[in-house]
Amino acid sequence: MSERWEATPRYPGAFATIGEVWRYRRLFRFIGDRALRKMYRRTVLGWLWLFINPLFPIALRALVFGALLGVGSDGIPYFLFLLTGTVVWDVFAASLMWGTRSLEMHGDLSDQIYHPRAILPLGNMTPALLNVALKIGVLVLAVIFYAIYDGRVYLRLDVALLWSLSALVLAFLLALAISFFTSIWGESVRDIRFALGQLLTIWYLLTPILYPLSQVPDAYRGWMFLNPLAIIVETFKWGLFGVGQFYPEAFALMTFAVAMLLVAGLNYFSRSEARTIAQR
Amino acid sequence: MSDSVRWVVAADTHEGFLARTREVWQYRRILAFFSLKAVQSLYAKTHLGVSWIFIRTLVPLFVGSFVFGSVMNVPSGDVPYLLFFLAGQIPWNCFDGPLIRGSRGLEVNRMLLTKLYVPRIILPLGQMAAGVVEPAIILLVFAGALVHYRTTDGVWHVMASPRLLASLASIVVILVFAFSLTLWTSIWQARARDARFALRYVVGFWMYFTPVIYPMSVVPPHLQWLMYLNPLTAPIEMFRWGTLPDADNPWLWFWYSVAVTAAIFAGGVWYFAHTESTTMDKI
Repeated sequence: MSERWEATPRYPGAFATIGEVWRYRRLFRFIGDRALRKMYRRTVLGWLWLFINPLFPIALRALVFGALLGVGSDGIPYFLFLLTGTVVWDVFAASLMWGTRSLEMHGDLSDQIYHPRAILPLGNMTPALLNVALKIGVLVLAVIFYAIYDGRVYLRLDVALLWSLSALVLAFLLALAISFFTSIWGESVRDIRFALGQLLTIWYLLTPILYPLSQVPDAYRGWMFLNPLAIIVETFKWGLFGVGQFYPEAFALMTFAVAMLLVAGLNYFSRSEARTIAQR
Repeated sequence: MSDSVRWVVAADTHEGFLARTREVWQYRRILAFFSLKAVQSLYAKTHLGVSWIFIRTLVPLFVGSFVFGSVMNVPSGDVPYLLFFLAGQIPWNCFDGPLIRGSRGLEVNRMLLTKLYVPRIILPLGQMAAGVVEPAIILLVFAGALVHYRTTDGVWHVMASPRLLASLASIVVILVFAFSLTLWTSIWQARARDARFALRYVVGFWMYFTPVIYPMSVVPPHLQWLMYLNPLTAPIEMFRWGTLPDADNPWLWFWYSVAVTAAIFAGGVWYFAHTESTTMDKI
């Protein structure tokens, strides 16, 4: 007569996790808000730091690499070239940095209430995305500026813009997939985000953002395509301006790889989260 | 009655520069302790241990040299770009690392400062010691690269001449310059965390205004004076002049940098002395 109860650890699959994150979607705003508060506590300017002068570093680099050193830019103004590469790079790098810190920043929240942990890396990325949105605004202004100043609209207004959009989405998903691993590792190895910062600096240099892929010596160019970000950046530039090297097959392959990594990441995350949170 | 002891509270009666220097000397063992702790913190608790410092220093050097030298074809005169690049990175890292780390000196030891007395200046100074590790490693790489080019090109690119003393002098000026700025920034950083973000932001650009990855020759001649207004430009050029052949010797601007450093140092000593006690109340 009596009912049998069985307590077993539950390992939800990747899709169950996605569904649960969706049900808890109202938490996104709250987590993003909390991330900003935590990151910028004890500062005078607060979250305004996120928006301070996104233009200045880019203008400076354009001056040094474009004007002083005469680095090529595939026939569009160097400033525009650099800004475009920076936008798509920042979608990846900033999201990854914020995503990696998510468990560390919101672990105290997880101790108090239940929520799907997978929402943390994603929610923590909203500040990064806000920053990128601002840079996209600057990019639009730059295109308008050159349209007036050079009398030429560099932007191609056709269906290829969709390729750029998918490059942005792919950059974001790649950052998310990696965050599922790094945020867990960051719980046990505190300095992972310093290591990640260093890694991203090198990665930035090896990605064709400051220079076009066409300027890489032939002997090394093939190797550059091993860098997923090189493919994403080139696709983004090609979609916007029709410059750079675009290989749909490479992009399709990358999309597939990112999808696999995302599923693997979600699986890893949902298997490790319980253990990681318990060990805090 | 006559043998009663008179107690005099003599705090803060000797606030002069010399008295402070003497005090730091008296506390030199504590300084050594903090320096050691700061150096250990570079690799403590990392999985890779000491090799982590080497990886972290070396990989960016070779990647940077490849990207700027081979991909962007930045000119470097008669010497291979790698040597040119390293000869800029050594003095630059003598500025960058000590400044960033030294500025955190008061902030990271907040807890300690509220509990016991040490001359406060010891804390930034101790942190700065960790910043000197990286340029020392780059110096080793530089020596290795010289030997490498000796065997492949058959040329020693560095002459053992009294010019090396100029390189040494420029390193000293850069270190003092970094310390002078730390006297200001460590106080700011103890007061508000903004200072840390602002400092990273500023130092991040500063390198682009300094001929580290590119030579002065790419700057149009009529604009070079603007570059030299940056007090780091002349010492870095001087370092290159001392180590590599056919570089310019900007000795006039070098004295300008020395003067600026002296001014910032004097101001910093005054500022640090006048704000440290009020700052200690706030942290």
